[in-house]
Amino acid sequence: MESRRLVYVLTGIAVALILVLGGLTLIVVAGGGDDDDGGSSAQNGDDESPGPDLGERVQGELRLFGPDPLSIDPACASDAGSAEYIVEIFSGLVSFDRDLKVIPDIAEKWDVSPDGKVYTFHLRTNVTFHDNSRRVTADDFKFSMERALNPSTQSTVAEVYLDDIVGVDDFINGDAEEVTGIKVVNPDTLELTINEPSEVFIEKLTYPTAYVVDSREVGDSTCFEGNWTLTPNGTGPFKLADWELGTKIVLEPNENFYLDPKPSLARVTYILSGGSSFTMYENDEVDLTGVGINNIESVRETSNPLNAEYHQSPSLDVFYIGFNVNRPPFDDPDVRKALNMAVDKEFLANEFLMKLASPAKGILPPGMPGYNEDLDAPEFDKDAASELLDSTGKKDELDGLKILTSGQGAAPSDILQAVVAMWEENLGITIEIEQEDFGLFLRDLDEGNFDLFSLGWIADYPDPQNFLDIKFHSDSANNETGYSNAEVDDLLEQARAEKDEAKRLELYGQAEELIANDAPWVPLYHGTNSYLVKPYVEGYDVPAFVLPNLRYVTIKE
Amino acid sequence: MPSGLASYIIRRLAVIPLVLLVVSFVTFSLGRFAPSDYVELQAGPRAKPETIERIREDRGLNDPVYEQYVRYLGNFLTGDFGTSTKYRLPVEDVILPKLWITVQLNVVVVIISWLIALPIGTWAALRRGTWLDPLTIGLFLVPASIPVLVATPIIQWLLVVKLSLLPSGGWSDAEYFGIELGIFSKRAIMPVLIMAVPSIAGIARYMRTQVIDVLDQDFVRTAKAKGLAANVVVVRHVIRNAMLPIITLFGFELAALTAGSIFVETLLGIPGIGQFAFEAVNTRDYDVIMAVVMLGSVMFMTAMLIVDVAYGFIDPRVRLGEGLKE
Amino acid sequence: MSTFESVAQAPFAPAASGVPRLLRRIITRPVAVGAIMVIVAIYMAGILAPLIAPHGFNETDLMHGNEGPSSAHLLGTDRLGHDLLSRSIWSAQTTVIISVATLINGGLIMGVSLGLLAGYRRGTTDFAIMRLGDIFHSVPTILLLLIINASLRDRVELWAEQISDFTGIGWIGESGMASYFLVFGTLSLFGWVGIARLVRSQVLALRESQYVISARASGASTGRILFRHLLPNVSNLLIVALTISLGGVAAAEVGLSFLGIGIQDRPTFGLMIAEAVGLQNVREHTHLILVPGAVIVALVLSFNLLGDQLTDILSPRRR
Repeated sequence: MESRRLVYVLTGIAVALILVLGGLTLIVVAGGGDDDDGGSSAQNGDDESPGPDLGERVQGELRLFGPDPLSIDPACASDAGSAEYIVEIFSGLVSFDRDLKVIPDIAEKWDVSPDGKVYTFHLRTNVTFHDNSRRVTADDFKFSMERALNPSTQSTVAEVYLDDIVGVDDFINGDAEEVTGIKVVNPDTLELTINEPSEVFIEKLTYPTAYVVDSREVGDSTCFEGNWTLTPNGTGPFKLADWELGTKIVLEPNENFYLDPKPSLARVTYILSGGSSFTMYENDEVDLTGVGINNIESVRETSNPLNAEYHQSPSLDVFYIGFNVNRPPFDDPDVRKALNMAVDKEFLANEFLMKLASPAKGILPPGMPGYNEDLDAPEFDKDAASELLDSTGKKDELDGLKILTSGQGAAPSDILQAVVAMWEENLGITIEIEQEDFGLFLRDLDEGNFDLFSLGWIADYPDPQNFLDIKFHSDSANNETGYSNAEVDDLLEQARAEKDEAKRLELYGQAEELIANDAPWVPLYHGTNSYLVKPYVEGYDVPAFVLPNLRYVTIKE
Repeated sequence: MPSGLASYIIRRLAVIPLVLLVVSFVTFSLGRFAPSDYVELQAGPRAKPETIERIREDRGLNDPVYEQYVRYLGNFLTGDFGTSTKYRLPVEDVILPKLWITVQLNVVVVIISWLIALPIGTWAALRRGTWLDPLTIGLFLVPASIPVLVATPIIQWLLVVKLSLLPSGGWSDAEYFGIELGIFSKRAIMPVLIMAVPSIAGIARYMRTQVIDVLDQDFVRTAKAKGLAANVVVVRHVIRNAMLPIITLFGFELAALTAGSIFVETLLGIPGIGQFAFEAVNTRDYDVIMAVVMLGSVMFMTAMLIVDVAYGFIDPRVRLGEGLKE
Repeated sequence: MSTFESVAQAPFAPAASGVPRLLRRIITRPVAVGAIMVIVAIYMAGILAPLIAPHGFNETDLMHGNEGPSSAHLLGTDRLGHDLLSRSIWSAQTTVIISVATLINGGLIMGVSLGLLAGYRRGTTDFAIMRLGDIFHSVPTILLLLIINASLRDRVELWAEQISDFTGIGWIGESGMASYFLVFGTLSLFGWVGIARLVRSQVLALRESQYVISARASGASTGRILFRHLLPNVSNLLIVALTISLGGVAAAEVGLSFLGIGIQDRPTFGLMIAEAVGLQNVREHTHLILVPGAVIVALVLSFNLLGDQLTDILSPRRR
């Protein structure tokens, strides 16, 4: 057949191609990527080699799988994913150490006036920006905080963390040229005046919105445009060396860092995208990985070599279902209590989440000051729950009510489905789950337009105030349930100004017990950090919430 | 060269801005119709509603949609394509690196699949009626019938976990001859494989039917009957006639570049344009969405124009414009 | 899209070979019969789901999550203890609903009507319809679907609830209806173009044929000519194109679910697969992806085989 020749030619091309491509592939696979394409210039291969492949470690380097940050502008950070980078690159007056205690940072020490309203910070004189061009003074702090608060910066969160300071409202409303409560006494001294004495004000200053930025660099950037954050001139323990959007972030140590221990890692590479971090860990591409629900069983087996590298530490958070306490039938505390008692939280945390979480009895997570292991709160008891619900006579009103949750498409979270299944089994009621766009969800919560909702809350600072006052005080903007109890309000207000730590925690303890028994929430579980760390990485403890951590880490080669 | 080609191309090019106008307006309005915008999504649960409202007002997000659109269009025409609110960078600075990754992947996939699929398809057509027939048909059909979402995790599991051959995903590039290339990294092997196999199968299957059609035509039979000298005729006819619809297919593949590899990119964590566009929709990065949609439309229309012009060159009998209408 | 066009390339079959004849020729081909049997089995399982599924689609068994096949759960369970066999059967029901709704809405109502109209009326109507098609064709479909979903889902759900309150018909507002509407609506919106082009090209060729001209001369209305004279003549090609498109619909639903444009309250193959695609998930619980994956591959493959066979039968040159 004449057409045979065509076939031969074409098959020939195909075979050749397969050989060529297969060969290339082999070379790439075998050579691990440091072959250059031509191969003819192998002589000076070292100069021309494209450098280490992503995931190949250089000496003293720590490789992490990191979140793709939204913005690393300290004034704008509203999520933990961005804060993780900000706390390493920038710094502020004070910060947390790894025991969750407030320690001096750029401020060497501070005094508080007897009425508890005036904080005087004495700055270190040896702190410079990363480019070493200039030392950080009190004026830089005034500039940075005012920039964060300035409406033209369009920060959604600065106000939340800095609004204790006198004059913030006037400044935001445009009635004042400056924030009167931020006063530069001299280049080494900054004075902050707050409206009401507050024991948590100093902790709020550890949040990035109070960090210092270089006024020469930020210009008129807002939280939505202005690209100076690609080359930030910060003051933190690490410098941003490279940021390939969505691919990787590379940090290098700041040799001039002013606190001990100084950063000792030669380099920190965050890989921002790519497959599964667990597999990358197994393949030695990263030095740390979280362990998820799918791997935890095999990692926990003592025969597994990874078992020795496994760590678990608490995370300061709580996941819960909230009731609309102003809307029947949840205006009846007994209904709320019954629903609480019908959820087997031990099962949820220990079996369903395989101990990757701990069961939540009250509001405060383990590790938080004031956490009470023996809190008097409704316990799981399905028969009692069923009886209690029957006694209210409101069982029928529950059917078809919806738990509002944020999310789009796909299935709602497994945990919520499990809780709904428990309610169905233990109480015989059918609650539905409704997913909503996140923005719409927050708006509905704000307007009280819901029956039940599910949400998580992560600590900004390790203080019960951050959970109890913000979530349950009648006047708090973050009190979504509409819960209001005069006795609780009273306790929370007393605690705000109480200087005796033990007494403060005692007040919060009382408040928590009252809240738990009024049951505006069904607290479900507290998360934990479950992770693997390579044995040559020393001093890496995943902190309970975001704090500067990398300078404590060393690599033992 | 066919006469009037220049004026034809100009006419077709003139349509592009009109279509873009419609597409951009619809996309823009749809985006603004969403229940929340990027300010609300970035703010998170702690922000005060009145702060969010103030920022939305300042950023003009409360203005009527047509005003916002006119403003956008005005900026667009002066070469300002907007800002990615996620990365706070001009849209083009964000999109181009991501597009480059996707283009590398897709170009290699397209080249590999065509070079392999064309001969295999032709070969299968010539073996029609033998025992090889069911086998080849099956081989072509099965990979083309497995959704990428089923194939990817299974291939990933096989190659990465079971055989430990490849990294689990991601992308890394290095400089070759002054250009950032990631395609030579072993991280590129899995996505290329996953995308190329069904593509090869689909094209080969298509090529087979096209060649069979041509082979059965009278003039080819006559040519064959004339003996050896007609070999050239066969090759020419087969290739020319089969190429026409194949080129259309090629056009479609080129045009699908912007969003086509979204699944593979998302599953394997490749920071390409598809994954980024997906993310942009979820974070309401308005200007990025607009840019990607418009870029996709322009690429599609350009590809279709090139296909039509190529038709004219390959087969002068085809009148320009018919490729568009049929 | 290319599937429609590959059919359009095939020469037009004579009007004499009607649908019954097509059927007679199909049953002589074992491959086609096999494919049809697989399709029918999956579709019937879906239609009869309430009768044959051993468990309800939301029946959980929290104590027996993520288990492999056992006598209690023939295909194993997922994390919440859903029975995978039952979930698959209920998913088939969703597939049937979505496929039929898309077929009727996008294929028949939009595709065929607009194609017939464009081909028959020509002129401005033709121009308008085809340029509209071009626009739909030229935008990156997946992206537009994502945008539509992000912008409209919550609103459509709200409307469904309002309509339900207004009319007093409970099931409209039952959450779920809205997502069905979104899925087949979006699939139809971008799927009609191919069918319309196919029908139009056939009608263009036919409209000058003797019997259409004589029908027109005898004063038949446009509607009558379109549906009584033209439609039957394109029916064979249509059947092929629509058959192939059904496989596409089933596959598309998987993709949409993965991207979050899916049905949330009922099990679907897309949802089952989307929940199982994580590498660590596949590694530890491979059955989670294999079960829905196998069904969807069988379904798509059968549709493709059937489409191939039908094309073969209908193209005279390859007889």
